[in-house]
Amino acid sequence: MSETFQIPPLKLEQYNLENGLRVVLNPDSSIPVVSMAVYYDVGSRNERQGRTGFAHLFEHMMFQGSENVKKAEHFQYVMKAGGTMNGTTSSERTNYYETLPANQLPLGLWLESDRMRSLAVTEENLENQRNAVKEEKRLRYDNQPYGQVFDMLTTMVFKNFANSHSTIGSMEDLDDATVEDVQEFFRVYYAPNNAVLVISGAFEPEEAKRQVEKFFAGIESQPKPPVIDVEEPAEIAENYQDYEDKLAPLPAFLIGWKIPPRRTPEFDAIYLAGKLLYDGESSRLYQKLVKGEESIVQLFGFTDERRGPSSVIIGAIPKPEQDLSKIRETMMSEIDDLATNGASAEEMQKLQNQLINDTVRSRQSSMARAQAIAEYALYDGDPTLINSELEDLLKITSEDIKTAVNKFLKTENRALLNVIPAGKN
Amino acid sequence: MRLTFDLNMTGKNMIEDFRKTAPAPLAPVPFDIPQPFETELANNLKVVIFEDSRLPIVSFRLAFLSGNINDPADSKGLTSAMTSMLSEGTKSYTSRRLAEEIERLGAHISANSGQDNSIIAASALSLYTSDILRLMAEIVLYPTFPESELKLYKQNMIENLKFQRSQPGFLADEQMSRVVYGSHPYSVTSPTPDDIEKLTREKLVEFHNRRFVPNNATLIIVGDVNREDILEEISGALGDWKKGSVEKTEFETPPVRTAVTQTIVDRSGSAQSNIVLANLAIERGHPDFFPVLVMNQILGSGGSSRLFMNLREEKGYTYGAYSSFDTRRQAGTFEATAEVRTAVTGDSLKEFFYELNKIRDENVSEVELKDAKNFLTGVFPIRAETQEGLTNLIVSQKLYDLPGDYLQTYREKISQVSIEDVDRVAKKYITPDKIAIVIVGDAEEILPQIQPFSANIEIFDTEGKPQDVSNYGKQADGKTSDASGDWSLTIDFQGQSLPVKLKLEQTENKISGSLESMLGKGEISDGKAKGNKFSATAKMQIQGQDAEITINGELENDADSNQTSASNKMKGTISIPLGGVSDLPFVGIKED
Repeated sequence: MSETFQIPPLKLEQYNLENGLRVVLNPDSSIPVVSMAVYYDVGSRNERQGRTGFAHLFEHMMFQGSENVKKAEHFQYVMKAGGTMNGTTSSERTNYYETLPANQLPLGLWLESDRMRSLAVTEENLENQRNAVKEEKRLRYDNQPYGQVFDMLTTMVFKNFANSHSTIGSMEDLDDATVEDVQEFFRVYYAPNNAVLVISGAFEPEEAKRQVEKFFAGIESQPKPPVIDVEEPAEIAENYQDYEDKLAPLPAFLIGWKIPPRRTPEFDAIYLAGKLLYDGESSRLYQKLVKGEESIVQLFGFTDERRGPSSVIIGAIPKPEQDLSKIRETMMSEIDDLATNGASAEEMQKLQNQLINDTVRSRQSSMARAQAIAEYALYDGDPTLINSELEDLLKITSEDIKTAVNKFLKTENRALLNVIPAGKN
Repeated sequence: MRLTFDLNMTGKNMIEDFRKTAPAPLAPVPFDIPQPFETELANNLKVVIFEDSRLPIVSFRLAFLSGNINDPADSKGLTSAMTSMLSEGTKSYTSRRLAEEIERLGAHISANSGQDNSIIAASALSLYTSDILRLMAEIVLYPTFPESELKLYKQNMIENLKFQRSQPGFLADEQMSRVVYGSHPYSVTSPTPDDIEKLTREKLVEFHNRRFVPNNATLIIVGDVNREDILEEISGALGDWKKGSVEKTEFETPPVRTAVTQTIVDRSGSAQSNIVLANLAIERGHPDFFPVLVMNQILGSGGSSRLFMNLREEKGYTYGAYSSFDTRRQAGTFEATAEVRTAVTGDSLKEFFYELNKIRDENVSEVELKDAKNFLTGVFPIRAETQEGLTNLIVSQKLYDLPGDYLQTYREKISQVSIEDVDRVAKKYITPDKIAIVIVGDAEEILPQIQPFSANIEIFDTEGKPQDVSNYGKQADGKTSDASGDWSLTIDFQGQSLPVKLKLEQTENKISGSLESMLGKGEISDGKAKGNKFSATAKMQIQGQDAEITINGELENDADSNQTSASNKMKGTISIPLGGVSDLPFVGIKED
């Protein structure tokens, strides 16, 4: 299948400005839109104790105006040009992106460059965005059933504070943030030499280069940010925890394991093992537990992909009156089966087709392309990995999956979080 | 020399100058969506084919023009159950075998019903076009609805309903639909557990035979296909499908609103209030669709709209405030929504009303109009970038019977909207003087804040059961209990009982005093009382560090008396910021 099916490689051109900004162009004119993604090499992994939530708070500040773009105008300029935009923060990076009609490329570059060189950090903006972040926390975490559980499990898996604390951070730390702290954060991390700019979509490469030079070349580089340590010992931080969730209607449990960094053969093998275990209705655990034993209502799982030690999480929402430890035994015995016998030929064929299908579909939108390219450029220093990632994944064998599962997904090195409904009903 | 020097200076200033204003756009790039090919099979199945060979993938949608609102009155949830169970077993495949067959291709098939339509969606690499079409036909034509699978569906559905009830958004939508749609079936957002229990295999089989007929359906194919080839395959897979009769259902008219009403869903422990303001507006095919789209863009769609700028950017009440028009086949609503922190529920309503009245009373500016139109026309191509996006555009055009050139003239229609159009539709479709307010949150906290907006208040619990409003809000009348006194508390800490002494002095609703425990003694200075509840923090030193112990208490009154002045029992929770200990339950007795 993979031998006969060729996905045309993306056209890529990469270069650096003198100030250290890494630029990648991916021209593709099938639809007259253009996407830009600016990825800054700062995420919650760069935060230290007492300063959590800074990377994310800062993402909000980036929409509060700069020398030539007033507060909230960033939204407005993009929208009135007929574009969409946003920013997000993860453990690994903070990203900003916009998709615009093809002829508005200069606008996007102007907006991104103005805040990279001259963000306006004022007391008023800071206070206002602190409040917005607090509401975001209430909305996404505090007011949702199971809203806190992924952050809790992350804390149980990782020992190193850089990895274990949440991206939203502590509200006390945010309260302590001063304008000076935030300005310093900007100086250190929002420098051109700490960022990647990717342009994908309908544009002339020479025109794009002229525009990038015009808007970004004059921004001063800064000394390298402090080196961080995300190393982890093999063992997890905590094996077991009960958590009473006032909003949860049903019990739930989550199991997390510490696994090697992204883009290592072992991580890739676990990623594929995860797909076989929990992805889709033909997956092993769905067929065993939702069907089969009929003991759970919902199954979920994902890999948390990081540059350093990463994790894989599997969770279930059992039916009432179920013996949770029995469900976990079934889960573990299915995982053990994968660790002993590997994946079947039919499963390997499924994985191949799914990987190819997912890859082709992820190439459709200029924004999705820009983001994927930006990650490879920032994390690996090599945007062309987007053209070879599929091949790397297709090389993973049943034997590789077996070996990796056997090594990492053990009962003794798992973190188990038990969620107990504690509402008044 | 001087000349060169001057030029350099000017040059440098120019570098700064180009940053001062937004750069001009480059030459515009035209964008056109070609017309798809349309035909009909002998059994009246409509077929729409859009050849798109950008990437080797294909998407199918088989859409039936009947949805949840076509459920028989005594069988709510039937359409949804029947649609979901299509893939749980067919003439030739078990549920498991089907899932394996589909996923082995790396493909997806899903079947879902909405209020108006039921849609079977399939997507695959184009090299598997024939296989996925065959599997889609199999589940549409030959489902067997096995008893065992139905039993499992019912069990899981009932648990899922519990889960939905824990979501504030679901609760808000449930009440909003009930209030606004009255006896129209759009008022029902979800079946009840009883409805689910009543489903039988016979009902599903009968309903499938009756509803899933080709003359009530449209098949849309977008992707890397050849028109002639795919048409031949479709005829092979679905040509023998027998026609049936399509019933026309008459629906009750939604009620005419005459006044502002307020509905609270009491979700205790809520960190926020989910606010929805809603009234009836337009159906999808209404000629005012485009003016409404532009008007809503200005009022509350996205991050530069008036509602967002006011409630989030200026006031900081919320993570986001929005408005939208939900336009369905039969009718539709206008909705303004935000999730705000509980303490500013009333203040947020005030700002909502301010903005809803303003867009009715004053013309929008030329700039606002232009910006809104630019946005709506500009994002249109972005929505067509992916095959999913393009397919969805074509699906909505076909399902809502929009004009044949709808996608081609979309941007032109937007451009034609005038300030007068916006003013007219704002006055017509936003009616703050008779709007329905629905709030999901802590009723005791919310009630006193919303009194000014209407005395017409009803309260429901999270199960959807009406509550006696007179049981709530007693503190709103100023009857605040007196927590003053020396209290002896017992805290339950991991099965152990820990004693705490609490001295409280209350003047009106302000509480001060002290808290003494094994960890030390702390002063209380900024406590507050409300009704029979109070909250306070005690500042103390624990192991050399400043710490705050938070206490939330509730005085217990005699159940059958309205006396709120004297009480000698309390309960509540206490949080100690050590090792993440929070919300430990306690009980307390007043010492004589």
